[in-house]
Amino acid sequence: MANLNNIIIQIIGGAGASLIIFFSTLIISLPLGLLITFPRMSKFKPLSAFFVFIISLLRGTPLMLQLIVWYYGPYYLFGWTLGLSWRVPAIIIGFSINYAAYFAEIFRSGIQSIPIGQYEAASVLGYNKSQTFCKIIFPQMVKRVIPPVTNEIITLVKDTSLAFVITYSEMFTVAKQIAAAKTTIIPLFVAGLFYYVFNYIVAFVMDKVEKSFNYYR
Amino acid sequence: MSVFEIKNCKKSFNDIKVLDDISFKVDEGEVVSIIGSSGSGKTTLLRICTFLEFMDDGTLTYLDDSIVKSIDGKASYIGQKDLSLDALNKNKDLTRIKGYFGLVFQNFNLFPHWTVLKNVTDAPIYVQKRDKNEVIEKAFIYLKKMGLESKAYCYPCELSGGQQQRVAIARALCLEPKIIYFDEPTSALDPELTSEILKVIKELASEKRTMVIVTHEMSFARDVADRVIFMDNGVIVEEGNAYDLITNPKKDRTKKFLMKYDG
Repeated sequence: MANLNNIIIQIIGGAGASLIIFFSTLIISLPLGLLITFPRMSKFKPLSAFFVFIISLLRGTPLMLQLIVWYYGPYYLFGWTLGLSWRVPAIIIGFSINYAAYFAEIFRSGIQSIPIGQYEAASVLGYNKSQTFCKIIFPQMVKRVIPPVTNEIITLVKDTSLAFVITYSEMFTVAKQIAAAKTTIIPLFVAGLFYYVFNYIVAFVMDKVEKSFNYYR
Repeated sequence: MSVFEIKNCKKSFNDIKVLDDISFKVDEGEVVSIIGSSGSGKTTLLRICTFLEFMDDGTLTYLDDSIVKSIDGKASYIGQKDLSLDALNKNKDLTRIKGYFGLVFQNFNLFPHWTVLKNVTDAPIYVQKRDKNEVIEKAFIYLKKMGLESKAYCYPCELSGGQQQRVAIARALCLEPKIIYFDEPTSALDPELTSEILKVIKELASEKRTMVIVTHEMSFARDVADRVIFMDNGVIVEEGNAYDLITNPKKDRTKKFLMKYDG
């Protein structure tokens, strides 16, 4: 029993590292996603084409590979030796930009699903472009994108384990190390339980958020 | 005095002529009804009058404001270089001129995430920058007129189609426009709700509000409008006193169209 307690305490330490990735990524990638939605939807073709390409690159290559590029790229491309202090920033940048690409596409679909009549009514009432977006389109878009955003957030919880690739001791890495050292599979199950409980909380919170928008259809 | 005047308006979509040399004006206190079959260009005309669409050539004037001039056979909008909706919504001159008119859509287009009261008051407060208390007071007067005083804090999804359309009318009225356009305001409603809306519009007509109504309700046009315009294939075929035109049309095309409505 003391052994299990020991395992759990060590894994909680790793869970903290996972949570750092999770919350940093969420806080950065959601606004960043919205920010790249606009050039992605721009009517100026070269600009939108550029962002279509960037997004396809981010969605079309493994996040694991992207993390390696962010971490080791500065050395191999520019000869910069950033050392270990670069590891956490590289992870957060890699995750945030990758998730921003997914969120941008979700936001775009949300914006495009708003009926044209909403824009026309806003135009006739004299709202300018930014008023139309901030007051009329954005709030309705948020309601529509909650289910797909929840999906991404749940995936993000599990994806944090990919940080192992640049030897960051997040929860799953810790669990594997204990499992290897003590030749037992229990740490992996404990880690699995942690992911599950965490995602249960995420789903619970997002369900509450979704319901808070139920006052209109 | 004429509130609105459009002259020689031409509009094509991909080389297909939708409006060909349309001219008409609306005097203060006048109710004009535009009738015609689907695809005759009625809705496009209304969209041009409300800047949801650009005309290719012609002139357009609201009161003393000349908004569109014809230069070298092309329509020139004031303060506007390229003709896109984006540029249009940045155009300060047009924003001011949009205060002259209100538009009631076929499918209401209320903002679903706002209460009825916010739908009605937001644009007057934040676009026209009028005093908040004054606007709210006015909004309640109009909602009461529409029989919706008790629904002020409801959301559009809690209302029937007829009630939603009456909110849309209150929203247009609250802008204190000089002229209100109705684009087939009853086409999305069942007969019972239709009569409810027509009653409201009739009441507005009796107050001498300037209105342009695109409609398929012939008896309504006959009884409520002062003047009727019959359009077909992008041109005005016949125009005149509402009662005379609908009960005794002169042109063959008009007769043929109206016959379908006699049943």
